[in-house]
Amino acid sequence: MYIIGENIHIISEKVKEALANRDREFFMDLAVRQVEAGAKAIDINLGPRKKDWAEVFPWIVETVEAVVDVPLSIDTTNVDGMEAALKKITKAQPILNSTSAEPERLEKVPLLAKKYNAKLIALTMKSEGIPVEADARVNIAVEILIPRMLEIDFPMKDLIIDPLVLTVSGCQQYCPHLIEAVRTLQYAWDPPPNISVGLSNVSNAVPNENRPLINRVYCAMLMGVGLQMMIANPFDQKQNEVIRWIETKDTSTPLARVYNKIAERIANSEEPQMEDFDMSDPEQVAIWKTTQILLNKVIYADSYLMN
Amino acid sequence: MPIEIPKDKWPGSIRTVTIGATSAEGGTRAKTVTVGGGTTMPYLHFEAPTPNKPAIAIEIKSRKPEDWSPLLAEVWGAAMADPAQWAKKAEEAGADLLVLALTVEDSPEDAVKAVKSVLGATGLPLIVWGPGQAEKDNELLVAVAEAAKGERLVLGICEDKNYRTIVATAMANGHLVQARAPMDVNLSKQLNILISDMGMPKDRILMDPTTGALGYGMEYGYSVMERLRLAALQGDAMTQFPMIVTPGFEAWKTKEAKVGEGIPEAWGDWKARAIHWETLTALALVESGADIVVLRHPESVKRVKDAIGELVVA
Repeated sequence: MYIIGENIHIISEKVKEALANRDREFFMDLAVRQVEAGAKAIDINLGPRKKDWAEVFPWIVETVEAVVDVPLSIDTTNVDGMEAALKKITKAQPILNSTSAEPERLEKVPLLAKKYNAKLIALTMKSEGIPVEADARVNIAVEILIPRMLEIDFPMKDLIIDPLVLTVSGCQQYCPHLIEAVRTLQYAWDPPPNISVGLSNVSNAVPNENRPLINRVYCAMLMGVGLQMMIANPFDQKQNEVIRWIETKDTSTPLARVYNKIAERIANSEEPQMEDFDMSDPEQVAIWKTTQILLNKVIYADSYLMN
Repeated sequence: MPIEIPKDKWPGSIRTVTIGATSAEGGTRAKTVTVGGGTTMPYLHFEAPTPNKPAIAIEIKSRKPEDWSPLLAEVWGAAMADPAQWAKKAEEAGADLLVLALTVEDSPEDAVKAVKSVLGATGLPLIVWGPGQAEKDNELLVAVAEAAKGERLVLGICEDKNYRTIVATAMANGHLVQARAPMDVNLSKQLNILISDMGMPKDRILMDPTTGALGYGMEYGYSVMERLRLAALQGDAMTQFPMIVTPGFEAWKTKEAKVGEGIPEAWGDWKARAIHWETLTALALVESGADIVVLRHPESVKRVKDAIGELVVA
């Protein structure tokens, strides 16, 4: 699993404060720790920075590249900011995060990625919003995103399609469709595009104590359909463990078996069954319940584990 | 060619809930109202019968409401100033049960007096709503719950920000609760979980998914009701509660029902329109699975009652 570390994100109060203070040590430490925890790239989302982009984007690139060698994922909607960051990159091939199928963004961002030899994350989203249905998202990739890349002769190996994870709390019906979109996208083109998702979005607006469980169960499901790249929290040890169990087909413990079984069921286009779980183990019961909300079988509620 | 109608068989069902208690059951009601029990989508008689037909509640208030439509004031007349009189007229108008809505002006003593007078005036089961301000609701409903212990009242309205006190007093005094969430399946279910987790028996909860009037978001309301019903039938224990909705309150808020002046002539007769608005809102909700509809105008009550009669024998 290629994890793009998500932790330099302006939504965090600590990041906000460190940025206000231009606290280089904070960002260096956070970048180094993410790489040590297994992140293969570092996402940098400081927002659009409409006023100070010309200073902030080069500054953060210089700061982070001073301590890590991995690719940086420049995560912003500000095209000028993207370019300011790209100009400053000296190490690994960066990732631009992101374009969408909205005409204005699709016009500019891929050209920028090409000019600076960056990989490009492209969201399956049009101006009118994100479609629910898996097929509609795949169609956006095939009919809009990929043709645009061909048009500008952008290398397919550098294209990363993001079919958009939405939260189980409020957009529950999207969760199973995203799994199917990841499955289908791999057959959408030859050579197949890379696919990445923002995993933790699945538990946005979920009470903090339940977020990691939902993230790692969804991760297992998505690995079942072949997901190999995601923007996620590399510090989540239990999630890393699940990834390792599935990647190495480690079934040496009951939990490892359960997560492998979930991935296997989803891989075979089956639903996890109650008999896959040891219902005398509360932890496995919680995992079972989580599969049911993520497949939109049972209505999500914040206290769904008490249900 | 004979056509076989495909039938669904669901693993889950709606809980059966009884409101009100007769003297044999520790209360003073002349009759009780039982709702719920459905095992399929509403009125698919070829799959399963409708075990309990939807009930109609008429909403009355502890004090004469000043903001109700003149059409309602006209039909209820002087009875609106006296909850006992109003309750009697509502029973005559065909209500299966009553909603008594308390007001912010009521003291706990006023509230208890109003509830007692309504219980004394009719034998119908009773739902009591607080005025809708958390502190006041708790103050009044606790007093009412204690004074009417054993009557199996429905106490409302529980919402996510204020449910604990109401649920606790309902549990302690043998009453039921109405659990309202703002047109959202996730929040409906969450509130039901929280209330159940306090120990409230599951046959003493009604869920109120909130609705809108015809032309004012009713379709969001009935979509939520449909999803809750489907989840219940699929076996989700925390959505298997009978549903109570308030089409009277919603319909009489609309300009179309409330106002007779300053509107296009093409809208036609005011009274006819207003009653249509309430009736059609209520009927759409009945057809999407409402177990109790709370209405305001006696003519709407009559029409909805007739329509329910046809639905359940169809």
